[in-house]
Order: sequence, then structure tokens, then C-alpha cells
Amino acid sequence: MPARATRRLLAWAPVLPALLFLAAVFFAALIDNGLRSLAPPSGAPWYDYYRQLATDPFYLQALAETVALAAATTLVCLLIGYPVAYYLVRHARSGRALILFLLISPLLTSIIMRTFGWRAIFARRGLMNATLQGLGLIERPLDVLNSAASALIGMVHVLVPFMVLSIAAVLEKIDPRVEEAAEVLGASTPQIFARITFPLSLDGVASGAILTFMLAMGSFVTLLFLGGGTLQTFPLLIYQQFNTTRDFGMAAAMSNLLMLLALALLFAQLRLIRRQGVL
Amino acid sequence: MRSRRTHPLWLAYLWLFFGFIIAPIAIVCVVAFQNAGFVAFPIDGVSLKWFAKALTYKPFTDSLATSFMVAFLSTALALLVGTPAALALGRRETRAADALTALLLSPLSVPLIVLGFALLFYLSRFGLGTSFVGLLVAHTVVGLPYIVRTVIAVHRAVGRELEDAARMLGATWLQALRHVTLPLIRPGLIGGGMLAFLISIDNLPVSYFFSSVSTVTLPVVMLSYIESAFDPSIAALAVIQLAIALTGLLVVERVWGVRMVGRAI
Repeated sequence: MPARATRRLLAWAPVLPALLFLAAVFFAALIDNGLRSLAPPSGAPWYDYYRQLATDPFYLQALAETVALAAATTLVCLLIGYPVAYYLVRHARSGRALILFLLISPLLTSIIMRTFGWRAIFARRGLMNATLQGLGLIERPLDVLNSAASALIGMVHVLVPFMVLSIAAVLEKIDPRVEEAAEVLGASTPQIFARITFPLSLDGVASGAILTFMLAMGSFVTLLFLGGGTLQTFPLLIYQQFNTTRDFGMAAAMSNLLMLLALALLFAQLRLIRRQGVL
Repeated sequence: MRSRRTHPLWLAYLWLFFGFIIAPIAIVCVVAFQNAGFVAFPIDGVSLKWFAKALTYKPFTDSLATSFMVAFLSTALALLVGTPAALALGRRETRAADALTALLLSPLSVPLIVLGFALLFYLSRFGLGTSFVGLLVAHTVVGLPYIVRTVIAVHRAVGRELEDAARMLGATWLQALRHVTLPLIRPGLIGGGMLAFLISIDNLPVSYFFSSVSTVTLPVVMLSYIESAFDPSIAALAVIQLAIALTGLLVVERVWGVRMVGRAI
């Protein structure tokens, strides 16, 4: 039996390089970061940075805005992305390649390009105002740039491909015969969608939502150039603290909280999906 | 597949959706060719001078070379380390395998800005703070989960019958790996690799923390440029970047087909 035990252990060997690499760099760095956030300047108690995060209205507001923006982005991505995923899997035939290509086109462009593009559209003398004024719909240019709305639009644009592809990947695996069976048994198209297709695609919806939420919560370049300071989220504050305030301990505490938040949500959602028996 | 006509509402919705997706990209392409030194509509005159400026501005060209180097090397490293792990984990349905997979995918759920910040301070302890090696290590951490995820997905999708058959017919595990498994999962390797490469090229939050004179990547240079100026040379540069990404995609599509590209993400 020892030979068998050895072989079983050997079967895990291919995992080692990746695991050791992440342990030595990634996990160690996160622990290091955690320790830094627990070592405030002398005189203050060890939890001082977190006390500030939990009591200072400035940080509480920033936390609320971070979560609200990520939630709004995820919701909009889901609402506008689901139909596209459904079409891609169920209807598109010859157009499939083109749709896939258009869909991933934002991922092929740099984050700077997308941001620059939205600025050019929303600016006071940008395309949107020029068009609306040209059509005589508005008299004076609208101030869309540097608002929560333009930040949300920019975020949805970057992240909706992830949502669509996550959902499409699962929709594709649903056996069409299940839907056909429902149709033969007299179910209408909306009924088939509501009782068969959508429940079976929840796995993709959840993984898409998790992915979108994580990415939205951590993104800051889009906010930096489209939000114009109207929204103060944690990533923006970390960026500012690293750049200008140089309060590295506070930045470490904020990044730690941001990460814990992301992980907590990940676990909560995974549990939820498991309980529903989808996974 | 049910054969039903596509409702016109579907098409209207798709036009609207893809109009939204394409709008900012198309605009940048237009702005790159405009004449004026500021961005305003309608544009007056067409010019190539912003391309000339972008291609001769030394910070742009230098950082583009750094970006390519980091993207290529970090993708290669991630493939090397990630593929064996993915093959060993993908088909096991045990709790241990699930947990290990989750660990390998965990960099995905850590916000990039947190990753960059934490890695910079940690690697600084070993004198790798703003070095090329530090940048490379950080990009490998980011790329690894994409490789693992894609390879696992493709490996599961192809089923185990062919590999089992090879082993039953007397192939050693090495032969089965070389002649059966690797060819089968090649779409996963290419797709995951391409994704990791593109993500590395476009990575700003992590690269930002590691930037120094010798390690500054293109997105970081563009970020600092855009902070001070808003002229069309950034647009021209973005168009060049897009052209490079498109060329890469076209090559992959020609060789391996578009389905592979879709599967990668």
C-alpha cells in the first residue's frame, strides 16, 4: 500500500509550482499588507486604522459609495447583458463570430482608450452635446462628464463583456432538448424562459455578477477620469494616499478592508448558489 | 435548436447595445485623425500628424517595448506554472481539489489596486520594489488564474475518454500527455495565454505601483500624459495599440478559429 500512497501524493505534484509561487509572493504579500495595517504610528492602539475606518464619516461615506457603485454596475450589466448572451447562444448563427468580436472589442482596447473615448463623447464640446445642439434639442451643453452617471456608464462599458460571456458560457451548456421537451408539453416561450432557461443559467448569472462586482469594486482609472471626484471610492482613496498623502498604513488598512469585502461577498454568493442546488 | 425567425426587436436591441460598446472606440479612431490640437466636434480637417507625434515621442516607444516584454514573459511563466496545476486539478471532484483550485484562482478576486500596493511593499523587502523582476512577478500573479481557469474549462469540456483510451492502449502518461492531452487542450493554452497577454498589456493598477524610469509601461505613461494634456496623440497611440491587438486576434482566428477566442474569456 505505500506505493499507492506515494502515487496518490505524486498526483498532486503538478500543483506544487503554482502553489509555491503564489504562497511565496501573493499570499505573503497580502499577509505583509495586513500586518502593516495593524501597526499604526507609536502611541495609537494596534487597531487604530480600522477604528478610523469604522467611525470617521469620511471613510464610511467612501465605503458606501464603493459598494453602491459596484452594485449598480453589476445590476446594469446583468440587465443589458443577459439578452445579448441569450441571443448569442440561442439565435445567432452566421452573425456569431461578428457578435463575439464586437463583444470583446472593449477588452482589446486599452483602458486609456475607452476612457478617452467617453470623455470625447461627454465633454462640453464633445460629440453628444454637439449632436444634441445640432438637432436643436438642447440650448446649452449638458454637463454629463465628471458625474456619477458618466462613471457608471464607463464602468458598465468595460465590464459588460465579462457578464455576457459568463452567462453565455452556461447557456451554451443547457441541453436544448430540455427546452424542446417543455415546448412539446405546451409551455409558451416566456414560460420556458422563466421556468427552465433562466433557472438553469443562474450559475452563469452568479459567476458573471461576482466577476463584475469584484472588478467594479476595485477599478479606479475609469472613476478617476470619468467621475471627476464626485465619487470617492476606496480604490481612489488608496491611489491618492499612495500618491499625495503618503499615508501607507491607512492605505494598507483600506486595501485590506476592500479585499476582505470582496472575499466575503465571494463566499456569500458561492454559498447561496450551492444552497439553491445550481452548482 | 429551434428554428424560429429572429424578432425585429432583437435586432434593434443588438444595434443599440453594440452601438454603446463601439461608440467610445469609434470616437477615438476619429479623433486620432483630426487636425486640431484639442478635442472638439464637429472635427475640422484630417491629419496624420498625431500619429507622427505618438510614434516619435520617446516615452511612448520605450514604454511600449517594456509593456511587450512584461506581457510576453509573464504569460510564458504563468503558462509554465499554471498548466500542470490545472491539468492535475480540473477533473478531480474532491474537496481538496476544489480548495486548491480556489486558492489558485484567488488573485482574481483581489482588487488589482490592492494587489499592486501590497506586492510593491512586500517585494521591496527583497530589493525588488520598482524593478523589472518585481513588475514581472506581479504580472505573473495577475495572469496565472486566467490560465488555470481556461485550461481547466477546456480540459473538462473535452472529456476523459480519449486520454483513458490512450492509457489503456499502452501509452505512458508522458506519451498520453504529449500526444493526446496537450493537443486537446491547445485551445485553452492559446486562449488563456492570449487573455493573460492582453490583460498584462492593458494593466494599469499594478504597473502603476512598480513604475520607475526603467520599468514604466505604456499605460502608465499614457496615464500621466492624459493627466496633463488632452491632445489627440493619445488617441493616435490608442489606435495603434488597437491595431496591434486586432492583428494578434486575426492571426489567432485564422489559425485556430473564432470559437477559441470566445472560449478564452
